[in-house]
Amino acid sequence: MYQTKYHKPASIDDAVAALAVAEDGKVLGGGQTLLPTMKQHLASPTDLVDVGGISGMADISVSDGCLTIGAGARHADVAASSVVRDAIPALACLAGGIGDPAVRSMGTIGGSVANNDPAADYPAAVLGLGATVVTNTREIAADDFFEGMFTTALEEDEIITAIKFPIPSSAGYSKFPNPASRYAMVGVFVANGGSGARVAVTGAGQDGVFRADSMESALSSNFSAGSLDGTSLDADGMMADIHGTAEYRAHLVSVVAKRAVTSAV
Amino acid sequence: MDLSGQYRIPADVATVWAALNDAEVLSRCIPGCEELEKESDTEMAAKVALKIGPVKARFSGRVKLQDLNPPHSYSIVGEGKGGVAGFAKGGADVRLTQDGDETVLDYSAKAQVGGKLAQLGSRLVKSTSAKLADQFFDNFSKAVAG
Repeated sequence: MYQTKYHKPASIDDAVAALAVAEDGKVLGGGQTLLPTMKQHLASPTDLVDVGGISGMADISVSDGCLTIGAGARHADVAASSVVRDAIPALACLAGGIGDPAVRSMGTIGGSVANNDPAADYPAAVLGLGATVVTNTREIAADDFFEGMFTTALEEDEIITAIKFPIPSSAGYSKFPNPASRYAMVGVFVANGGSGARVAVTGAGQDGVFRADSMESALSSNFSAGSLDGTSLDADGMMADIHGTAEYRAHLVSVVAKRAVTSAV
Repeated sequence: MDLSGQYRIPADVATVWAALNDAEVLSRCIPGCEELEKESDTEMAAKVALKIGPVKARFSGRVKLQDLNPPHSYSIVGEGKGGVAGFAKGGADVRLTQDGDETVLDYSAKAQVGGKLAQLGSRLVKSTSAKLADQFFDNFSKAVAG
């Protein structure tokens, strides 16, 4: 066994201070990745800083064409939120399809985005909607935030406080889940907004979530599933594992992208 | 798990070969390397700390160089133990070819990962390995180019 010190700060400042003095501290959101990892002794942080007790961290609101979701909002809350359902229904639908009920009841949007698992759902929405990640020190555009598998622009002691999603004219998300884990084998988020279409793909790329440029240009001229006929992605750089080859995943991206466009509202 | 790749390094074959056998250069280029000691001309011991997402594991391992054909090719075999995290062992064939001012490095590796890392991380082991290899050769190209 190893010892871990548990902190439950009441403010972001206290959380940052606790992290700063910790020898090997970790921010604890909903714990749906970190706790199983710790149980397996694959990580043994000296300090856990639980940001779940900070007031306002889970607020959801709309203003100036932007939907803001607090980093501590749990997947089940986002899925059920009438504010999210009205503003960006695809996002509520995505949250409702993450993992299983246990994961959705505990897991948070901030935790998922900070972890940047290459097969997680939320990174596709954040990148696909061109959202802004708000931290205790700055705002980071989605395009600059995701830096590769499990890697983000976050500094060691930086904490996500909220995600700001610009509300698109329409958006859709579709995924082909692994039947056991519900992680995306391939998940595609499409959004049609003022500056054209955005397409973000999760689960498929070796470097985590990425934008599919060729699909974006096809959809920007005509936002319909038919526009994607003939667009295909290179299998190079796609993930390959026991569940599927790189070629299989590349093909799935086209199939799932069409479903996402068809489902877009 | 099989892994292969090709990198172009802006230096001649002799320089690249020397760097590939230089423990100091290698320790600077191996992602997460905390210690690398040359025990003989063909054996090295290393301590590497890997941090991938939530996982943090420290491996200590031994590497042996075989089938040396300086400065054109060699094979590396090694194994590492990461405590409760599991173990990794494998080998790589490395070939160097001069192309103008540059050296083309080809490698093909076979690796096995076992223990908890393999159980829990099976969907990510290959991507992670490819990423680490890329990081290493990226660092290595820069180190050799000076």
